[in-house]
Amino acid sequence: MRFSIWRITLKVIFVVFMLLIMIGPLVGIVIWSFARVWYWPSPIPQEFTLRYWLEVFRQGRVLNSLMLSVTIALLTVVFSITLAIPAAYGFARYKLPFERVLLLLFLMPQTFPQLPVFINLASIFGRMGLRGNIWGIILAHTMASLVFSLWIITATFKSIPVELEHVAQNLGASRFKTFWTVTFPLAIPGIIAGAIYVFLWSMGEFTAAFFIGAPFIQTAPVLMYTSSMGYNLQIASVIAIILVIPSLIFMVLIERFLKAEYIAGLGG
Amino acid sequence: MEVRNRIVGFLLILPAFLILALLYVYPLIRAIWMSFIKDGFLSLANYAKAFDIYSRDILYSVVITSVTVGFVLVLSILLASYLRFKEWRFLDIMYRLPLFIPFLIVGHAMRIFLAPHGTLNSLLTRILKVEELPGFSRSWIGLLWTFVWVMTPYAALIILGAFRALDSSYIEAARNLGASKGKIVFTVIIPMCKPSIMVAAILTFVRTISSLTILVMIGPNTPNMITVDMMFRINFFNDWGVANALGVISYLIVIVLAVYYLRFMAAERGGIKG
Repeated sequence: MRFSIWRITLKVIFVVFMLLIMIGPLVGIVIWSFARVWYWPSPIPQEFTLRYWLEVFRQGRVLNSLMLSVTIALLTVVFSITLAIPAAYGFARYKLPFERVLLLLFLMPQTFPQLPVFINLASIFGRMGLRGNIWGIILAHTMASLVFSLWIITATFKSIPVELEHVAQNLGASRFKTFWTVTFPLAIPGIIAGAIYVFLWSMGEFTAAFFIGAPFIQTAPVLMYTSSMGYNLQIASVIAIILVIPSLIFMVLIERFLKAEYIAGLGG
Repeated sequence: MEVRNRIVGFLLILPAFLILALLYVYPLIRAIWMSFIKDGFLSLANYAKAFDIYSRDILYSVVITSVTVGFVLVLSILLASYLRFKEWRFLDIMYRLPLFIPFLIVGHAMRIFLAPHGTLNSLLTRILKVEELPGFSRSWIGLLWTFVWVMTPYAALIILGAFRALDSSYIEAARNLGASKGKIVFTVIIPMCKPSIMVAAILTFVRTISSLTILVMIGPNTPNMITVDMMFRINFFNDWGVANALGVISYLIVIVLAVYYLRFMAAERGGIKG
């Protein structure tokens, strides 16, 4: 490529522009999380403090909401993956009755707005005593995450050559033993990717947690929302950073193992 | 053997199927049913009221969403075309940054970034040497900016995947005939990857129009998108009928796109060939 001063200048401008619009919003919340006093038009806060970060480690509503979110996310992962593994194996290896209908059903939640389902679920749970209860949120999260954990794991099973299973079966292994000793160990990386994905999704999920958890349950995103609305930007920023860091790490590590079509669920 | 096989397959799927039937299909049917119930009777009153109060918001939702899809498609095709021909690690990481960040956090970060006295203006006023600049949060510009910021990486990932999967021999052939890169993109790559571009557009549309969290953080107070109206209907008026009518209206808006997407995915058996 020819050396050209214009080319390099353009490239530098582009890099600075990208950094500003992509990283800028994240830098803003980092600064806010340390701000004690910050009046316009100072470029940085007049006074800094660690007070809001300490709340993460001290008993109180920030720590409580984070612990609650981790508990919900872990239980959601357990339920979602346990349900998804057999179903994914079924989709990957068996001819199914009403296959098209089942496929459509399991793809539908990605293609239609989720909000009407969540609010009606909240109303149904309300009559069953599951509203304002963490089990209500866990059930809703299991349902919503099942759709993408299922497709991630199905893709993993499909990528494992079926011939390996045939070999094991020809040597006399039962279908279950074949799955347990051949297919499952090979699928573990995909299953872990799916599990991490479900965990992160559940940690950041707001809508279901807000409608179903109301009024007693405050997960980290719900506390973040109420803090931000009440102009307690520091608390909101601290929670935002804690939730963002694992997402960024995951993005760098795992993204290339996932097929884009299956991760439609994230974000909410 | 064949029958036994099908039964085993169905049993494997049954638990997941039951969860989806009870916690997805049942609330979905209930949403549609409740939207026709007013004071215990079947009627269209909820729809009449929804259109009466919110027709402007419905239009606004569709317009904002369509404009978002337009911007996202142009940007993600540009990104994918560039990265198809050239490796640039910096750009590769930058564009994917928002991929897994929860929408609520994006909304919060953008609210701080784009506010009248926010991080962006704090920087720009210094560079431009002016006193004040208008903020974009709580306006349609900030909303559009945030949607495009958060939706583009996802669409670009789908489109770039399709571009990369394309057999290089087509591109080589066009290049040997003297076509420029721009021409190759427009006459060879884009037409061949049309289904994936459609999928990216559809998923962007659905995710945008069904987003609630970004709107409550950064959206203008009025006009609002339908998701926020649904939330208000429930939280302030306890009016489930109109909320459900709005929900059904949002289903009707996406149904044509959803059918295209489902047929495409089902044809590929869940998107995985073979």
